[in-house]
Amino acid sequence: MSDVFDAVMLLLLISIAVTVVRATDLLAAVVKFALYSLVLCLVWQHRGAPDVAMTEAAVGAGVTSVLFVLTIAKTTRSEKP
Amino acid sequence: MVLFGLDLDYAACVVLFCLGLYMLVAKSNLLKKVLGLNVMETAVFAFIVTAGMVEGGDPPTLGSGTSPPYASPIPHAMVLTGIVVAVSVTAVALALIAQIHAHYGTIEVDELKELP
Amino acid sequence: MRWLGAALVVVAAATMIAGVADLPVHGTPDAPIHRHVGAHYLEHGVAETGMRNMVTAVLLVYRGFDTFLEVVVIFTALVAVLALPRGAAESGPARVVSTAGSTGATASDTDAVGTQRADVPVSPVVFFVVRLIAPFIAIFALASLYRGHITPGGGFQSAAIFGALFIALALVFGRERVARLVPVPARVWLQAVGPVLFALVAFVGWCLTGAFLGYPAEAAAHAVREAMVVTLEVGIAVGGAVILAQLFMVMEG
Repeated sequence: MSDVFDAVMLLLLISIAVTVVRATDLLAAVVKFALYSLVLCLVWQHRGAPDVAMTEAAVGAGVTSVLFVLTIAKTTRSEKP
Repeated sequence: MVLFGLDLDYAACVVLFCLGLYMLVAKSNLLKKVLGLNVMETAVFAFIVTAGMVEGGDPPTLGSGTSPPYASPIPHAMVLTGIVVAVSVTAVALALIAQIHAHYGTIEVDELKELP
Repeated sequence: MRWLGAALVVVAAATMIAGVADLPVHGTPDAPIHRHVGAHYLEHGVAETGMRNMVTAVLLVYRGFDTFLEVVVIFTALVAVLALPRGAAESGPARVVSTAGSTGATASDTDAVGTQRADVPVSPVVFFVVRLIAPFIAIFALASLYRGHITPGGGFQSAAIFGALFIALALVFGRERVARLVPVPARVWLQAVGPVLFALVAFVGWCLTGAFLGYPAEAAAHAVREAMVVTLEVGIAVGGAVILAQLFMVMEG
């Protein structure tokens, strides 16, 4: 059962990463990156790493994504295709 | 989980690393490049922690109701340091991107190459 | 360029998967990674360091130099970001600037002439929720700092949680009100408290044992060990939190 959970989480990670690659709206890409960080936090918890999970949750969704959004506010919002 | 002689968890980390590498190399938007760098870094952390895990094991905090076998604590310490370094690199890169946009008006590498 | 990138990625993936195929299967308790140094730390860690959270023990005692230099790295990142020239973003699009709810004090500044900045007010749901749970987040961060050597937690975790709390408060209440929490003269020293406390404790360790960042090994000196570890954790937490908050403040304004 934990194998199935593992496989589903990793597949989810890969598909979110693919959507981050393909997003042309940069704000959408950053929001998807925050979602990636959340799923990664669950993967850490499943691997028996609660310290890493706490840090990843606070840093990935809290600090890094906010810094990205601030940069998008100062620059452009969409990528030239 | 092993499938066709290939460890799927390791393979997933390799795939994530290569997705990040593709974003870093082939996209021309600087912000996408920094996002790709972050994806690469998290893929490496996933690989390191997966190497040190024990299937059904407990986190390495002894005595709080946990019992052996424990996950190895050294990968966790390395990944914690790595996460802080990733945040530092991202912060400096984003500050530079904001400066580049303020000076040149664009953050696409193709357009920046055309500038005199 | 795109096809070159895709080709490079395919070659890299094939090489790495071929390399990974030789590794022992993960998850088994008798893999080589669990046998040498890791097993020694898990067996003797509690007696040697006095801490029960092995990750914190590895971070602060067994691999203390790594943590020292990592604190210096994030401090250097802050110095680099502060060293960049901070001009007004003259061609920025509409910025999302938070206005402090119903008190009427807006956080928008009217100095930039000619730029149209739309002040998007904060949704009352976000305002209410952040006001409600901010104290609990602060308590949780303090608890994970205080109990970081027994339960999962520790210096970095509480630094990240405090930093994220500062950012949430600054987004909702406006940066001026949050910036007043840490006055500017104190802020300059608080940013550097991570490397400074680490250097102090390392010097104390050198005086006590003759090794830089060395911990006294006698069982009777466990109070000294605990004091050193707590000082290091407080340094990491306070320094890291102030640095993360300052990174946010610099990049926003």
